[in-house]
Amino acid sequence: MEKNVMFELQEVWKIYEMKGVETNALRGTSLKIKKGEYVAILGPSGSGKSTLMHIMGCLDTPTKGRVFVEGREVSELSDDDLAKIRREKIGFVFQAYNLIPGLTAAENVALPMRFSGYGRSEAQSKAKEILKRVGLEKRTTHKPNELSGGEQQRVAIARSLSNDPDAILADEPTGNLDTKSGREIFELLESLHKKTGKTIIVVTHDINLAKRAHREIRIMDGMITK
Amino acid sequence: MLDLALKDLKEHKVRTILTALGIFIAITAIVSLGSISAGVNELVTSSTGLIGSDTIFVMREFDFSEMTTGPPQDMIGEIDADVVGEISSMSGVKRSVPVIARAFMGFFEVDGIDMDAVDMFGAQDLEFKEGSWPENDDKGAALGFLPASMLDVAVGDYITLNKKEVEVLGIFEEGSGAYDLVILMPYDYADEIYETEGGATQLIIEPEDVTLVEEIKQTIEDEHDDLDAMTMEDALSMMEEITGTLNIMTFGIGFVASLVAAIGIIITMYTSVLERRRQIGIMKAVGALRRTILMQMLQEGLLLSVISTLLAVGISFFFVDMLNNVLLGGINLAVITPVLAIGAVAYGILLTVISSLYPAWVAVKTDPIKAIREG
Repeated sequence: MEKNVMFELQEVWKIYEMKGVETNALRGTSLKIKKGEYVAILGPSGSGKSTLMHIMGCLDTPTKGRVFVEGREVSELSDDDLAKIRREKIGFVFQAYNLIPGLTAAENVALPMRFSGYGRSEAQSKAKEILKRVGLEKRTTHKPNELSGGEQQRVAIARSLSNDPDAILADEPTGNLDTKSGREIFELLESLHKKTGKTIIVVTHDINLAKRAHREIRIMDGMITK
Repeated sequence: MLDLALKDLKEHKVRTILTALGIFIAITAIVSLGSISAGVNELVTSSTGLIGSDTIFVMREFDFSEMTTGPPQDMIGEIDADVVGEISSMSGVKRSVPVIARAFMGFFEVDGIDMDAVDMFGAQDLEFKEGSWPENDDKGAALGFLPASMLDVAVGDYITLNKKEVEVLGIFEEGSGAYDLVILMPYDYADEIYETEGGATQLIIEPEDVTLVEEIKQTIEDEHDDLDAMTMEDALSMMEEITGTLNIMTFGIGFVASLVAAIGIIITMYTSVLERRRQIGIMKAVGALRRTILMQMLQEGLLLSVISTLLAVGISFFFVDMLNNVLLGGINLAVITPVLAIGAVAYGILLTVISSLYPAWVAVKTDPIKAIREG
């Protein structure tokens, strides 16, 4: 196992079964993503790109095949072990932001830190620092419904950084945003990559934005084509 | 993470209030009914504790088929004067005290007794607020605190018993237990007032020796078919039967109220889990462990139960006060003992936490991807 590999998938299959009908979301997918890489995953709707990202991000487990995160096999870990890996090594950014509506921006960002055992005030103070890094120092006490889409996605990016993970996985982070806000989010991710050297994987439909990544992975019908 | 649980309860005010209301009603019902049960138990214990363990009570056999509405004292038949004399002169009887008992104003009891034998009723140490014990040849009565307060009389005033004026010679201190509800007067004067012609409604017998209790009881019942002789042990077991029935009733009603509250908690918390499925999914996606989710749900239940049970016990004190002072005119029938109050809070908390377990388990089992995708 190479030391500089962040994610490795070996012959990964993901088969969903609904009412007796099987659907192959991933069909023997294999790939390696090195530490510090900035990768864009492209593919049409239903191609399996989100499933691929969920499996890499330990949100889901494969039906067949092996998955490694920083050299550790995670394919058959328990729910809690997967949660610990997500908490410590991976930050998620979702298309629909997925912030908790009742919490302020700072509380949302502090949440993963609270799960890691930080006290309320320490987590809040670190969360405010991270929000400052994404340009939201004046929005720390605002709740999600008081923020624009672009601002909510910045809060989501701040949350993904809260436990200082090695990789950030963004699932169509610009999908709900206008062109300008979308570009700003990409610029933020690029700048984070440059400053921190974290592995960044972005799932997107937008070919122009994908071209800004260092590597493109194209997926079609559950198989990697490029 | 108690702050997150509190925040969530605040965010969903209607759901929180409805769940809390279910717990509140159940605990209020349990404490209110339990207070009556505890009060009756305490009254029975304090009353029986006043009387010697070798005492025998004799009264006319009570036929429940002839029972009518009204105070029980008015339904007890009288023992004729010659029977009173006969029993008093039985061998083995050290002292025999006839009692003329009558109901007064529904709640109170007038007792005509030998004033030299107040020790047999455990009344010898009673303190007087004013006045003193009547002598056997006095034409007056000593009043318990409650009848005196209700009639607003002082020593030297008169009260009407059986359409006759009776002078108040003494008033007991408040807090004299069962004697707060009683009017005591010399037997002869009661005989005159109620025209009982030397008879009695009860006979209280003290044997020469405690070993003679059963023998005297048996002889009275054998020789007088229409009389019931009851030892202290019989009286206690009868009282225990009554209080036991009351306790079972309280337990039954409390159990049903708890069941309704538990179902309410399960439904509202389960609905809350379904409502917050996406939120729980997000929490799991960003690294919450199963026990973190479980603890948050249980903490919500714990917070709800602590607030609503404390409120319920507080309100119950008010209800009990209303019951004793407004409905019962100052009789402390219902009592919230520390055991009852602490027990009710503990029970309410336990009930809520147990009822929260299933909804919490559903939350723990939430699949983060499905929850985030489907909401």
